[in-house]
Formats: sequence, C-alpha cells, structure tokens
Amino acid sequence: MQFASRSYSADSISAVQELYHSNGWTDGLPIVPPTREAVEACLEWVMMPPDQLIGIEPVRGLAITAEKLAINAVMAGCLPMHFPVVVTAWTAMMQEEFLMHGATASTGGCAVLVILNGPIRLELGASGSFNALANSDRATAVIGRAIRLCLINLLDDRPGVIDRSTLGHPGKFSYCVAEDEEDTTWLPLAEHRGVPKGASSVTVLAAGAPRQLMNEWTTKPEEILETFAAEMRANMRHYSIHPGNYALIIPKQLREHLQAGGWTKADIATFIHERARIHRREWADVGKGAVVRDRGDTVYTAMDSPDQLLVVAAGGPAGGFGAVIPPWLGNKSYAVTLPIGVCVDCEPPKK
Amino acid sequence: MMFEVLDPTPGTAPPAGQLAPRLDTLEGKTIGFISNGKEGTKGFFRHLDQILREEYGVANVVSRTKSNYSAPADPHIVAEIKGWDAVVSGLGD
Repeated sequence: MQFASRSYSADSISAVQELYHSNGWTDGLPIVPPTREAVEACLEWVMMPPDQLIGIEPVRGLAITAEKLAINAVMAGCLPMHFPVVVTAWTAMMQEEFLMHGATASTGGCAVLVILNGPIRLELGASGSFNALANSDRATAVIGRAIRLCLINLLDDRPGVIDRSTLGHPGKFSYCVAEDEEDTTWLPLAEHRGVPKGASSVTVLAAGAPRQLMNEWTTKPEEILETFAAEMRANMRHYSIHPGNYALIIPKQLREHLQAGGWTKADIATFIHERARIHRREWADVGKGAVVRDRGDTVYTAMDSPDQLLVVAAGGPAGGFGAVIPPWLGNKSYAVTLPIGVCVDCEPPKK
Repeated sequence: MMFEVLDPTPGTAPPAGQLAPRLDTLEGKTIGFISNGKEGTKGFFRHLDQILREEYGVANVVSRTKSNYSAPADPHIVAEIKGWDAVVSGLGD
C-alpha cells in the first residue's frame, strides 16, 4: 500500500511517544504507534485505498483522506473493526449542516458526541449500560478519542490555535455512547431519524457536557420528564436560550417507568417540547437582565419542534438518574445521522 | 525495537487566502466592517468608525453583520467586498 504520509523511525516505544507529544500530535495521553501495518489493516477493513477522499472540510477546504483518518484512529487505540465508525462519523461531521469549523473552533467549547445504533454496537462490544457516558467499554472509548485526534491533527484543532474554547469539557477526550437497544421497547434513535431497521449508524452532535439529573421519588412519566424539562430550562437560562438538538439520555430505571406508562420516544418529545420553554425575562433572574431588553414576554422553546429531540436509551440498570446533553449553540449546528456504508460484516480482502 | 510510524497531520498547509495590497492612505476611502454580531462588537465598531472618519479622513464606513457568528460571512456580504477599499473583520464576545 502506497502512503502519502511522511514516515519517521523511532528506536523505542518511549521515543515514539516523545515524537508525537513534541510535535503536538496528541491529546496529552500516550498514543498507539501508527505503524504502516496497523494503518493498512484499518484501510483494508473498510476496503479503501489510502487516498480515498472522505470529504472536503467546507470552510477551510481541507481534503480529508482515509489514510489520515486511519493514522489517527490507530493512535487513538482503534482496531480495524472500529474504523468504519470513525469514517462514518467524520463523513457526518463534514456535512454542511453540522458546521464543523464553527463547532470545533468556538469559544463555546463543545465536543462531538457520537451515538451508535444498530448491530455494529454488539460486534464491537460497545456497551450502553453501566457508565454509558464515560469509560464504559473499549469501543466507545477509542472511537470517541479518534474523533478528537483527527480534529487535532487534520484541522489543527489545537487549544489556542483553531480550537478557541474558553473551557471545553472532558468529552473532548472521548464522547461516544452506544444506545442500549436490547433493553428497551423504544425504537432506536437512528430509526427515528430515518435509518432502516437493522442498519448500523452513527449520529454526531456538537454537544455540551452532560447535565446529570435525579428523580427516584416518582413513577409517573410526567413527573420524571418534568425533571428533564427543568434541566433543559436551566440550560436555557444559564447557557443558551436558542433552540436546537438536545439529547436526553434515559437509563433503565427511569426508562422502565416511562415504558410501563406506554410512553414512546415520540410521546416524550411532544411532552418535552411543551415543557422545555422559558420567557426571555427569566434571564433577569440569573444575572442576565442586560439582554432581556423589550422582549421579556417572548417565549423561547428548547427545540423548534419535537423531532429535534434525540432520546437515547442508555445507562446502568440501577439509579434514578438521567442526563440532558445540550447542543453547542442552538441551531447553528444540527445533529447528523448516517448509516455505516461500508461492509461491516465482510472480511478484509486477502493479500 | 524499531518503529516506523506515520505522520498524522496533512503535511501540507491548508489553502491560504491572499492579502489585498496595502493602502497608502485611508483618506477618502470606503472601509467595510464585517462583524460577527456579538455584543462586544457594537461598541468597538462604533468607536472604530469614529476614529477612521475623524482622524484618518475615511469617506465611508459600511457596516455588515454576519447572520451566523460561527460561520463564514454570508455570500451577499462577500460579494459587497469588491466595492470596498479595505475590510475590518472583527469578532467580539
């Protein structure tokens, strides 16, 4: 396989680490050496030549090739079987409506949340159970990290360079969750967003940090969802009033109460759309009176419509917790869902 | 143990824009402002407008604001640039 990338020789694993750290090619953590063999294995898995064009970053006109994604994926710890997810996520991120440059350069400091659906979750061992939003398993950890390393190395999204985040959040190391499709009666997120049943897919969202909530003192769906809506209203008051793609992460304990009441994801979205709204004048309650102006009576909704809500079944089996994941900044960036177009069930071609 | 490892960066610089020729003077010129529309830009551009007109003899200041402060300037704003002698593109939080 002919690579366009320059290669370097290093005589030890620590020399590899220092080479990558000193060039600013890491996220601060050690990397897996991207050898020719490892990168080749990723490309063979997706059956792409190194110079396969995955897309052009729309603002700065940067060409993103399979070779460069594979190098960064290997560095993140990806095995070849993880690579199709990285390719699809990046394809989704380069869609114009995602506004990748704005989302990754902004002072707002969001991260790219990757949501996995379909059979590939099981093939990869991606878990939507315990610790779902954090280090739940190898697959989600390395896929999320690969997204960030690609941003750092391909778009120069380094802190203080293109990445101008004031604070950022820990999801910028890795932010990937698999939906727990086996332990719910709900339709998977991807099906709600038009992906055929049984197909594997990736949804990307330019997202703030999870806002965890708790309500284990009721079984009534309306009361449980009121807590989620209140957390969204808090985000609208304290952070951004603009509507956009919010994600709700609903673990099993609260999910079972909702399901027992016969609530579908669509029912949840309708309820949340009704309840997650504030008057602009509420900004005065939280120290933002200066920007209320003469629009205090204007009502703002968290989403433009119920279908902007991304409801995800994920989380460990016990605990009356949930999370609201807010959008980076309203509708400036939209969530994008793409099916994984490569042949994930095929063996790589024989040499 | 020897490792042969690959460069994870593009290795080439992104396509760069080209700066317009510098002006010898601002006197009598038309200057365009492209604001990202954030709160902090208002006072800054108001003050800059005043300085350019009063101290540098600028003839016209054209102020435009992007519709999305996180995205490139709208095409209709970019199209207007040809009619200006210089541009100040500013952002403010």
